[in-house]
Amino acid sequence: MGRILIVDDTMFMRTLLKNILFSGGHDIVGEAADGAEAVAKYQELKPDLVTMDIVMPKVNGIEALKAIRATDPSAKVIMCTAVGQEQMVKLAVKSGAKGYIVKPFQAPKVLEEVKNVLSA
Amino acid sequence: MFDEEVYRKLFVEESRENHENIVNNLLALESGEDQQTAIDEIFRSAHTLKGMAASMGFDAMEHLCHSMEDVFSLIRNGGLEVSPSLTDLLLTCTDVIEGMLDAIEAGENPSDEQSGPLVQELMAFAEEGSPVEDLIPPSPTSPPEPPREPSREVGGSPVYRMKVAVDPTSTMKDVRAMLLLQNLEDIGKIRSTTPSRDKIEDGIFDGTFEVVVESDAGEDALRTIASGTELSLLALSPLESYLAAESMDAHEPVETPESPRAPAPQVQKTARPEKIREIKNIRVDIERLDRMMNLVEDLVINRGRLEQIAKKHGIKEFDEALSMIGRSVSDLQNLMMGIRMMPLERIFNRFPRVVRDVANHDGKEVEFIVEGGETELDRSMMDGLSDPLLHIIRNAVNHGIETPEARKAAGKPVKGLVRLTARRDKDNVIINVEDDGAGIDPEKLRKKAVEKGFLTPEAAASATKDELIALLFEPGFSTSDVINDISGRGVGLDVVKKTIESLKGTIKVESEPGRGTKFELVLPPTMAIIDVMMVRINGRRCAIPVSNVVEVAHAKPEAIHRIGNSDAILLRDQTLPLYRLEDMFGRAEKGDTLIVLQNDGRRCCIVVDYVDGQQEVVVKPLSRIAGYCRGISGVTIPGDGDVVPVLDVNTMI
Repeated sequence: MGRILIVDDTMFMRTLLKNILFSGGHDIVGEAADGAEAVAKYQELKPDLVTMDIVMPKVNGIEALKAIRATDPSAKVIMCTAVGQEQMVKLAVKSGAKGYIVKPFQAPKVLEEVKNVLSA
Repeated sequence: MFDEEVYRKLFVEESRENHENIVNNLLALESGEDQQTAIDEIFRSAHTLKGMAASMGFDAMEHLCHSMEDVFSLIRNGGLEVSPSLTDLLLTCTDVIEGMLDAIEAGENPSDEQSGPLVQELMAFAEEGSPVEDLIPPSPTSPPEPPREPSREVGGSPVYRMKVAVDPTSTMKDVRAMLLLQNLEDIGKIRSTTPSRDKIEDGIFDGTFEVVVESDAGEDALRTIASGTELSLLALSPLESYLAAESMDAHEPVETPESPRAPAPQVQKTARPEKIREIKNIRVDIERLDRMMNLVEDLVINRGRLEQIAKKHGIKEFDEALSMIGRSVSDLQNLMMGIRMMPLERIFNRFPRVVRDVANHDGKEVEFIVEGGETELDRSMMDGLSDPLLHIIRNAVNHGIETPEARKAAGKPVKGLVRLTARRDKDNVIINVEDDGAGIDPEKLRKKAVEKGFLTPEAAASATKDELIALLFEPGFSTSDVINDISGRGVGLDVVKKTIESLKGTIKVESEPGRGTKFELVLPPTMAIIDVMMVRINGRRCAIPVSNVVEVAHAKPEAIHRIGNSDAILLRDQTLPLYRLEDMFGRAEKGDTLIVLQNDGRRCCIVVDYVDGQQEVVVKPLSRIAGYCRGISGVTIPGDGDVVPVLDVNTMI
């Protein structure tokens, strides 16, 4: 099971995701509320996987993804997205995202994606 | 899927923050401030609200936020202009969202009764605009997209043909396919795809596609990648002939380098010792804080009791231990007070919207300036303060600021100014609401005071401006009969005053006809625990806040004079009104100690039997059964378990 960093600007979403990931036996090593914090926490915690919200204040998820991948090309980042954000997710995939989960989150799908990306 | 109640609170709280952010940025957008930031912020908050609402299953709210997000996505990309009618519509949407949040907080699931028509209207706006792809604008510093071709040249590696299907339930099958291709590129080279890669990545395929890939990673690795989330591998076969045909363009074979995601760092990763994590912030329910505060108050009360017991017995060791406890309790109390402080922004944030609405309704132009929102106040006071402030601000726009024509005629700038400021004084928080409107005309007040029977014509004639303005706070002074600019000033101001007084605060008005009006609210930053002087009046105990006590003096009978119906005392060349508080405590046989009290620069004296000492006490509000008692702000329970009233000096003077 993986050590995961959750990035989202709302505590609501982070809690939701945290509980899903916990139920899948994962370890949440940290949380970040915006892209800048995400990059800093990544360096500090070196998690196995990051769940990254796209729309966030200050530094958005895609910029944060690029910054993380620039320091660690093997970083595994899953984008948290919503219907209608296809273009942004594609941009993220081109920037090195390894997976995506769609809001509203469904626990089995989230866990499947996390498992697959971790084992890749 | 999850315990809804656990999330409901969090949802409401964060949704309110985002709702407020939308409202404030809509107003900023209208005022022509930094447009791009405002648009981005609204888009972000609408998007966040949508996501949260969807997660909670509040469909009506999700749809509404989704439509708002769509509109802002267009605006952001230049496909739609922000017009006043659109702003109005969006503000109406925020009102509906607020209503939905109230309903959700009350445990309901909001219907789309109100939001449905709004969604239609928003869609109509969205259709007007030209469709623009929803893209995060690439930041100027972002590096160019990495080349699609892997940097290394793969030569002589086995080639495979694979057929992959994307789960039909996948929300973004194009992205899913794109991820697969990207992952394949990590371990090899894609020779071709059917249909073309562009088509696949645009989602133009029937759910299955074929990939010819060249890789040294082996069939198992390909299988793993092709059976990822929402993917299934339909067929995988080595393709010898392809290699033969294509190997011509393969240059010198490179030693098979390890895939970029070699297992080595993975092992290292799991072996790394876990860093101890630090959680720097937690959210605590207000109710729990209140309960904690009650416990701290009980501690303070019981500390007082212990001190009294200690005094009786005089045990040195006990005194020492008690003084240690005393210090800890004081520290704990200060800490709790600090934790309960909240920035005034929490209530200030809703006022720009109010100003805008009132100004629009009245056809006035108003600039609203808020300063000092970071000033902190105990949260127990926040709730009580919101309505009085709202009232004063609404009045400032409604009755203070003149119409643009009137302002022009008076040689003033067309745009009126309402300024809300907060600052921390030594002991108090001072909140001002100023406007540069018409001001209050004392002559009109004078006339009205006589008409309404508040003053006799003689008294009215000699009344000073301050005395006349003070009438505004009298119950029933102002009614709805309109006398142009001053009419509404008095509406409910008595209630405002009462509320502020119940918060141990004071309210003052200054007004200059033609120049404007200023309301000043002075509030203690916290009200629960105060320093009091304990006195005896007619044998009964009474507590007086030390902050109101100027001095204690001996009352010489010859210095007391009867003036009209009341007593006054000459104290060091100053004549002060003297109260015996007989109606509260009964007539005292002998009382020769004077306490000089002060509030807001004005002074008076009361006569007490003697002073009992000074101590820190917890003031508990009077229960609802007792109701509002003028002159008493609450009760306190000192160490001996007695119930002692706390004098409310603000209302006495």
